[in-house]
Amino acid sequence: MLLDFDKLGAWKWILSAVCALMALFLLLPILFIVALSFGDSRWLIFPPQNWTLKWYGELFADPRWLAAAWTSARIALIVMVLSVVLGLLASLALTRGTFRGRAVLRAFFLTPMVLPVVIIAVALYAAFLRLGLNGTLAGFVIAHLIVALPFSIITISGALETFDPSIEDAAILCGASPWEARFRVTLPAISHGLFSAAIFSFLISWDEVVLAIFMASPTLQTLPVKVWTTLRQDLTPVIAAASTLLVALTILLMIVAALIRKGKSR
Amino acid sequence: MLSFFSPARRGSGLGTALPALLLLLAFFVIPVAALLSRSITEPELGLHNYRTLLGSATYLQIFLNTFMVSAVVTLITVLIAFPVSWALAIMPPRLSSVIFAIILLSMWTNLLARTYAWMVLLQQTGLVNRILMGIGLTDRPLQLTNNLVGVTIGMVYIMLPFMILPLYGVIRKIDPAVLQAAALCGATRGQALRRVLLPLAAPGIASGALMVFVMSLGYFVTPALLGGTSNMMVAELIVQQVQSLVNWGMGGAAAFVLLVITLAIYAVQLRVFGTEVR
Repeated sequence: MLLDFDKLGAWKWILSAVCALMALFLLLPILFIVALSFGDSRWLIFPPQNWTLKWYGELFADPRWLAAAWTSARIALIVMVLSVVLGLLASLALTRGTFRGRAVLRAFFLTPMVLPVVIIAVALYAAFLRLGLNGTLAGFVIAHLIVALPFSIITISGALETFDPSIEDAAILCGASPWEARFRVTLPAISHGLFSAAIFSFLISWDEVVLAIFMASPTLQTLPVKVWTTLRQDLTPVIAAASTLLVALTILLMIVAALIRKGKSR
Repeated sequence: MLSFFSPARRGSGLGTALPALLLLLAFFVIPVAALLSRSITEPELGLHNYRTLLGSATYLQIFLNTFMVSAVVTLITVLIAFPVSWALAIMPPRLSSVIFAIILLSMWTNLLARTYAWMVLLQQTGLVNRILMGIGLTDRPLQLTNNLVGVTIGMVYIMLPFMILPLYGVIRKIDPAVLQAAALCGATRGQALRRVLLPLAAPGIASGALMVFVMSLGYFVTPALLGGTSNMMVAELIVQQVQSLVNWGMGGAAAFVLLVITLAIYAVQLRVFGTEVR
């Protein structure tokens, strides 16, 4: 009765209305910034009187925005590769090893995900001040890798758990070397997990704010740090333009992720 | 010839986890431990940082703000998420997939972009105030940013998906036959909701609520941007102590208190629900 949509009677309309309102609540701010980025009001009056591309012009005219985006992209790509490689290696041990303390190790690998990121940020900031890693690319990569790795491990372990290792044994019995079996049998079989881990890791690094604020220097900052410092000064529509481009990128990556899932289920 | 995770030696296999393990030890465990230890060594050995932290009205107010906001955010997300997840679990898939796409889009959209949207929407001349005045709910603009109201709205927006997704999973698994049985036994819709559906969904509500609460406790970005400097929460206190005041002792002490509360709540969750976090 309560779990049959068509037999809910009047409740069906109440539930649908709550759902629709919530969807609007989630969607409107995103549509709102997209609209603002094309509006001509510097004071962010909505709805705008006229439409313009000048905020995008300002965005691309300022080399600091482009430099920040390029820094973000480089860091996110390095984090993506390292996170998948380390995540794959760790997941192999977690899913196939039978050593003692495996469950503890798994919980340990996931702790950076559950701790408040501000604690990790402040702790790393102190450590990097001593090591001279503040304001370096390596500092950003290490910090982002710490928080991306748990997601990578969850995704890849999940894929490995559904893969039957005896298929790998079969390949070895048929004459493949262990490495050949791993590269040509196991990796293709879990490729959807590796791709998801890669997208997750990229997005985590690309969007990460708190760690980045602490790792940044005046000469090296990521896109979120640039948005953050600009936001603290004023609410210029240039941020709306930058945000809109970020939303576009998000939608693109969501479509890629959905296609990967589709490919997996086929 | 066969290596550590091939059939012959599948019994061992810690080896491949070593790079990740070393990385976390060097850049997570040791730095966090070092930060926490500074809370009792700086400026001199002792617990005086904790005495200052727990003994002054200013700092207690910050902890109170944090708990209040987190509790209100959790309550509001539960109230919205329960009907939404219930509807999502039984809707025709065509409809629910549209709503899921919207939830994922908002979840994946850059955090600063979302917070920026709320800063603009909630400002004095912002759309929300103009609508409120337009429909006559208020005759002059309400102060919705630079206070805890703004923080709460912004945080509810960010936390909703984290409540809806697990709760949806739990409601999805409830057998509709149980509710048919309730109806056959003469339960009205209200009774079936109160005495069958809600109790069956309770574990999902509780674990989602704990997660949202604990995530809210340590949240930094939204409170910093929407809350203003006079309405601090704990994460901002830690950053302020370390970055502006260079007081590592106090920063470490506040971090330690936040860490203990966070871990205690996760421990309760593990004990009560026996499931892994997320």
